[in-house]
Amino acid sequence: MPEPILSRNFSKKNAHTLGVYIQGGGYEALKKALTEMKPEQIIQEVDKSGLKGRGGAGFPVGKKWSFIPKEAPKPKYLVINADEGEPGTYKDRPIMECDPHAVVEGAIITCFAVGIHWAGIYVRGEYVKSIERLEGAINEAYAKGYLGKNILETGFDLDMVVHRGAGAYICGEETGLLESFEGKKGQPRMKPPFPAIVGLFQGPTVINNVESIAAIPHIVKNGGEWFNGLGAPGIGGGVKLFPVSGHVKKPGVYELPMGTPLREIIYKHAGGIRGDKKLKAVIPGGASAPVLKPEEIDVPMEYANLAKIGSMMGSGAVIVMDEDTDLVKTLRVLMCFYAHESCGKCTPCREGTGWMAKIIKRIEKGEGESADLDTIVSIANGIRGRTLCPLGDAAVGPALSFVTKFRQEFEDYIKVGAG
Amino acid sequence: MPTLTIDDQQVTVDQGTTILEAAKKLGIAIPHFCYHPRLTKVDACRMCLVEVKDAPKLVTSCSNAVRDNMVVFTGTPKVEEARKSILEFILINHPLDCPICDKAGECTLQDYYFRYSSQPSRFKDNKVEKHKVVDLGAKMVLDSERCVVCGRCVRFCREVVGEENLGIFNRGDHSEIGTYPGKKIEHNYQGNLVDVCPVGALTAKDFRFKCRSWLLCKADTICPGCSNGCNAVVHFTLRSFNGIKGQRVFRLTPRENNDVNKIWLCDVGRWGYSFVDSIDRLTTPALKKGEDFVKGDWDTALRETASGLKTVVERYGPSAVGVIPSPHLTNEDLYALKCLFSCVLKVANIDFKLPGLDKGEGDKLLLKADRHPNTRGAELLGLSGTGLSAEAMMEKVKTGEIRALYLAGSDPVKYIGEKAEEALSRAELLIFQGTNFSASCKLAHVILPGATFVEKEGTFTNYQGRLQKINKALEPLGEALADWEIFTRLGKRLGAYPSYRCAEEVFKDMAREVAPFNGLSYQKIGPQGIKIADSSQ
Amino acid sequence: MAVAFSEKTKERFKAILAKYPEKGAALLPAMWLAQKEFSVITPEVEEYVAKLLGVPLVRVHEVLTFYTMYAAKPLGKYHLQLCTNISCTLLGAEDILEHLKDKLQIGAGETTPDKKFTLSTVECLGYCGTAPVLQVNDDFHENLTTKKVDELLAKLK
Repeated sequence: MPEPILSRNFSKKNAHTLGVYIQGGGYEALKKALTEMKPEQIIQEVDKSGLKGRGGAGFPVGKKWSFIPKEAPKPKYLVINADEGEPGTYKDRPIMECDPHAVVEGAIITCFAVGIHWAGIYVRGEYVKSIERLEGAINEAYAKGYLGKNILETGFDLDMVVHRGAGAYICGEETGLLESFEGKKGQPRMKPPFPAIVGLFQGPTVINNVESIAAIPHIVKNGGEWFNGLGAPGIGGGVKLFPVSGHVKKPGVYELPMGTPLREIIYKHAGGIRGDKKLKAVIPGGASAPVLKPEEIDVPMEYANLAKIGSMMGSGAVIVMDEDTDLVKTLRVLMCFYAHESCGKCTPCREGTGWMAKIIKRIEKGEGESADLDTIVSIANGIRGRTLCPLGDAAVGPALSFVTKFRQEFEDYIKVGAG
Repeated sequence: MPTLTIDDQQVTVDQGTTILEAAKKLGIAIPHFCYHPRLTKVDACRMCLVEVKDAPKLVTSCSNAVRDNMVVFTGTPKVEEARKSILEFILINHPLDCPICDKAGECTLQDYYFRYSSQPSRFKDNKVEKHKVVDLGAKMVLDSERCVVCGRCVRFCREVVGEENLGIFNRGDHSEIGTYPGKKIEHNYQGNLVDVCPVGALTAKDFRFKCRSWLLCKADTICPGCSNGCNAVVHFTLRSFNGIKGQRVFRLTPRENNDVNKIWLCDVGRWGYSFVDSIDRLTTPALKKGEDFVKGDWDTALRETASGLKTVVERYGPSAVGVIPSPHLTNEDLYALKCLFSCVLKVANIDFKLPGLDKGEGDKLLLKADRHPNTRGAELLGLSGTGLSAEAMMEKVKTGEIRALYLAGSDPVKYIGEKAEEALSRAELLIFQGTNFSASCKLAHVILPGATFVEKEGTFTNYQGRLQKINKALEPLGEALADWEIFTRLGKRLGAYPSYRCAEEVFKDMAREVAPFNGLSYQKIGPQGIKIADSSQ
Repeated sequence: MAVAFSEKTKERFKAILAKYPEKGAALLPAMWLAQKEFSVITPEVEEYVAKLLGVPLVRVHEVLTFYTMYAAKPLGKYHLQLCTNISCTLLGAEDILEHLKDKLQIGAGETTPDKKFTLSTVECLGYCGTAPVLQVNDDFHENLTTKKVDELLAKLK
């Protein structure tokens, strides 16, 4: 087993403090980046690392940075997306709680590379401890001269703020997040213009996930090729945190090479199914990822491979359901979630998510009919690809996959009820 | 400039034009709710989805700019299916009771449903309940259940009026527009919220449930509410409905004119039309007998007026006559007046400028302090400064130096108050020509009933010096006549006067005689008006 | 009486304001401060915050009704927020919910008559690996069982 990188401080005592972080080699990458590297070199290394956005969309991080115009009439911003809300996902929280300086260090390097002087971390409102730890880390960094004016005597200035969300899944969507950051409802913006051109406070904005940012110091320190090589052979892209939940013996966050087969994650790392029951279904990338059947779990956990079988990598959150799982109830939980979290701005998501939730609730109550399943499919198809932001598609993922892949179970439920 | 193909037709448009706007240029209408040409785009309703060749998904035509060589299809099965689906989504929580909705007949959602969907509802569950009959402001009412959350009203307030007083509360299918609880919209542009609302969510208190929209006729007009000259459409009918007897004009709506009012109309102007059918309309000529007015016919009234004026002029000279026209009158009315008094009777005391005429409360957007539609026209026609000022005339009436005073639509008592009242009551001959009974009218010896702006043809010159046309939508109420016609009839009795048969004939003479109007004709004015002079000094 | 921040909170607010390039951006933090200080975001508080930041009152109300964590109504001393999203439901969150309703004799979204407990069901809290989870004010109680719930309720005075 190789040394953990992203999770190396998860069980280390007081790793959230500056002293312990520095003892472990912390802020060495910052020194290297600011004193030995040119911004372009940093972007090149990140490009080479194959690091793709760990929030869910999987967009290459280096490429995202390169979209930011060098000269802009408005200030440029870095926004770190710590609005971890995708059901099943709990990988950014331990980073922020146990390794907040990794986020701060990664953010400073990112800002230096892209020419940014103000960074904000948008943390979901429920993550009180994450907020405390990040604020603590930022204060320590200011005191040490890693933040503020003339960082490490290089003339580089940077300010950093923690912004607390207030309960809205949609703020994980990058433009919804920007709106929320600006003190408004978190309703997604029309694109274009893309945030790289017109983002926070109208300025060009880089938006990266916590896990992506936390990987940056390692990439700078050891090189992009090194990081890329940590991924599975032929796949690359480094390591990733896989939060596993549901009916497994050992739920937890596992740091594994990108491309690790799903089966290995469930059966090897997470210890297999509780009570040695049979596997019924698994969601591979957070609630929005279309569900997989047991015969599909040999898929490497990686963006293209999961897309190939009609699902997605998303946040990499693996949710495991054993043979006793009531899929009608499970889908109802998910549909109610999307209906509750739809921001209400665009028609298909606003109306469609609520409609699907009502139908599945009625089915669960025993008042459904077979035609309702067709209606769900048709609603999902009416939402798919037609919404302002990805939340609509996120709701479609489970709706279509549950009802089509497990149609018989839904039909049986409608005929004879649960179990 | 990019050239693209939409439904097999080529079109070249400016860089940055959206697909929807380019299609409009070709006469291809793409359905939409949230898009409004005068508001920012939000990409929310998704009704305007179209197919673009090589694009993986349907794209919103309201927000995506065209590219050179783009190939767009607006009526493919994929697009049609999407429209059906969006309409079905909107309708699941929308009341399906068009027959009792006041917007029926002019509702975008209703129209789209019939054009693009016409399918029965598959929705079997309970609709979301929202607020009904919300008193959102003094002028309009909100029915949240009919709202499609397009947000046009919210953006209108924020972007056009500059007040952030409407919002969308809650989220998901519980989203609801509203003001802050307990607050009301107070601005002068509430009617536009009703206009921009594509559905029956916002309705005007003045209009709702008074008349079905399809029973109304429409005519282009100019709002007479102030000197801005907003382009408008008057909605009227000759039938009586719902026991609202005698109401012929039901509303004014804005007509687009980028140079004047964009596509808006203020509430003061929009809802200022009620005088047209009001109970105090002057509908027959009348003569004062003792303390009372006695209805007369035109012949008698004009004979009295003509002989009265003639006598005064003959005995005391033209300086014993004063004329105060109102800038509410059209250029044609004023020109006919000028011909009569200045040319025929040689009266110099003509002045429309009553003190305080331009002292209303204006705003930054449309409403002007001068609440008269033709002040600039009156200026250009020289209806001031040739003799005594209107105020001086009052003094001379009081002292008896002016014996006959002709009020053409003007109401000195309204502007000057008691002093005017005292003066007018001393006049030997006071003629009042106008549309409605007033404090000045009360003191008149002869009343000549005039037509309102919807009852006659003519032109106004707005504060910018833009000449714009009003049209005759309705016959004058009762025996009222267009003012130019009254002057023509009077003129005949007083000397050599052209026998005008219509306003256009008056205009032709005016176009020949008065410099700023030279060379113009009704045809040249067109529906958007034409600039003939600078703004007033 | 009109509401106002204490001197200490005013200082905190000033410090927060100084961190943002635009004043309006401090609306969410200002509402957090207000919630901490006044427990409930009442109309008076909304007005106060709007004035403080110079943002339209209607925007404050939009924010209040859009986000789930701001309290427009008074909450009990302990706000029990049970995650009922997928991972927690797979591991018995609904049994925990029934148990809580039973014990407290209130439904989700309600507050006990003694104002001690408010029970809410919430979406994923990000504790999926230790499901089911219950958030009590700012503390998280993981790997819940009905027995643990009983022990917890006994401790909450």
